[in-house]
Amino acid sequence: MNATGLDCSQHALSAAYYADAARQRSVKIVENTPLSRDTFRLRLASPELASHILPGQFLMIRLPSHESPLLARPFALYDTWCDDSGTPLGLDIGYLVVGKATRLLKAMRTGDSVEVWGPLGNGFLPQATEHLIMVAGGIGQTPFLALGREYLGGRPYGNPGREVPPANKVTLCYGVRSKQFAAGIEDFENAGISVKISTDDGSLGHHGLVTDLLKQTLDQRLGQCRIVCCGPEPMMHAVARIAHEREVPCQVSLETPMACGIGICFSCVTKVRQLEEDPTGEVWDYKRTCVDGPVFDAAKIVF
Amino acid sequence: MNTAIENTNSIAPPEVDLSVQLGRLHLTNPVMVASGTFGYAREMAHLVDLSRLGGILPKTVTKQERQGNAPWRTIETAAGMLNSIGLDNDGIDAFLENHQPYLTTLGTAIVVSIAGRTQDEFVEMCQQLDGVPGVAAIELNISCPNVSGGVDFGTDPNMCEQLVAACRGACELPILAKLTPNVTSIQDMARAASAAGADALSLINTCQGMAVDWRGRKPMLGNVIGGLSGPAIKPIALRCVYQAAQVVDTPIIGIGGIATLDDMMEFLVTGASAVQLGTVNFYNPTVSMTLLDALPAALAELGAKSVAEIVGTLRV
Repeated sequence: MNATGLDCSQHALSAAYYADAARQRSVKIVENTPLSRDTFRLRLASPELASHILPGQFLMIRLPSHESPLLARPFALYDTWCDDSGTPLGLDIGYLVVGKATRLLKAMRTGDSVEVWGPLGNGFLPQATEHLIMVAGGIGQTPFLALGREYLGGRPYGNPGREVPPANKVTLCYGVRSKQFAAGIEDFENAGISVKISTDDGSLGHHGLVTDLLKQTLDQRLGQCRIVCCGPEPMMHAVARIAHEREVPCQVSLETPMACGIGICFSCVTKVRQLEEDPTGEVWDYKRTCVDGPVFDAAKIVF
Repeated sequence: MNTAIENTNSIAPPEVDLSVQLGRLHLTNPVMVASGTFGYAREMAHLVDLSRLGGILPKTVTKQERQGNAPWRTIETAAGMLNSIGLDNDGIDAFLENHQPYLTTLGTAIVVSIAGRTQDEFVEMCQQLDGVPGVAAIELNISCPNVSGGVDFGTDPNMCEQLVAACRGACELPILAKLTPNVTSIQDMARAASAAGADALSLINTCQGMAVDWRGRKPMLGNVIGGLSGPAIKPIALRCVYQAAQVVDTPIIGIGGIATLDDMMEFLVTGASAVQLGTVNFYNPTVSMTLLDALPAALAELGAKSVAEIVGTLRV
């Protein structure tokens, strides 16, 4: 119902969240910078979007004048960027070149325009924790820079800026295929986030799975902690299982393909357990990831 | 591309009459939004000035709740998309309780799209909607390709005629019949719905299609087959409107790939009295406002003082 990202599922309408702060705009590209192999950071100029968007929210980006690809694509907020006084001027998204739309996006230059609508989705719930553990797979690291910064008190997000109980420590457990795909590590470290990396081929950090890093971090955790997770579905499933076993609260940000991002097409559905009605977890319903998520309590997702 | 909220003050010059009459249904302008492409309107409230729309068709409701089809439910294709949503909805009772009270407040014509598995279900829903405050008309979705049962009403002229007649008899509301292009003769279907007393014909629903992952040797859609929509089907929709307009006097609502002012004008000139914007809402959410802003000037370009003047004026 509002831009705070708080759960409004008690509302009579079926979606938990509506894009009440969303606007459709043509915005200019400020920079389109490589971060690592096939991975780029797109910097957009839009004080309006930047001053409203919250960590974990996303926007739809469409390449103008294209009928192929026809549809826009969802991208999570990487971070906002500000002037010297801290006034937000625009926002960054991170993307991996995986298909037609991202190939075309890669070719866009400073001064070009894209059509965007946002901010969309609920974003992460700002729950108090002493140690926030962020688990990312591949390009799934992008929603976590702003979130980590927010928990460390580095920057407020939203309008008015929302208050998040500060965490003592924020750790990013980041799994990628190999060293050359690892993106934005400096950004995270500069924000005061402790970064642990795993690679499939052992070319950087731990040779193995990101869930190994999570278990290790949980073993060494500093007091009460929470997990947030974004990445490929099998990884999120594994993280959700570990969180359940260790009895640590866990939110997952789903990367379901979407056509509209605003709740009107009913494409991006995911199976969500109705735990309020049925504590056994056997009853589920399809929920729209865009307006009921993309962030969900991991215990509610039927992987 | 224009955006929504800033344009609310731009109104048509008084000398241009944008209103349209679809049988017993009166609309303030010909720009409607198609069922299944606009949620329950609430989702769009902050992107679009809903009161400016000629009409809103909320997502199709069924007698019982339907979970819909398994993902993936949409696949992008060349200049279009395939969908197999499967009429995911909470059922008509929940619709009337949760959505209709909000829709009633919007100040535009609410046309409720319904789909039944049997004629009895269609009739019962018509009776249930009769007299509900704020319901301006009913659109019979007899053309959804994604549900078992129901689609025969859209492909068999006799069944179509019986169904439309039964729904007309079951309520006082104007009845629109939304037809499928997946037939041998759209003219036979148009005649049947028209003879049964439909106030207007909505043309067209999606074209059946399919997408395949050859490496995995599997269909891309959870439901295997789906409905194609978007600019890719516009020529098919125009052809259907043209052919139907040749054989019936019943007003026609053009649907299928309309995304620009030119698209809308082409449908009006070809024989549609109004249009519904569908898939374009997904990839340009404020498009309805852009088209409404541009319509008066386009009519003026043809020297017309009303929408009705240009409908079906194609010179063949």
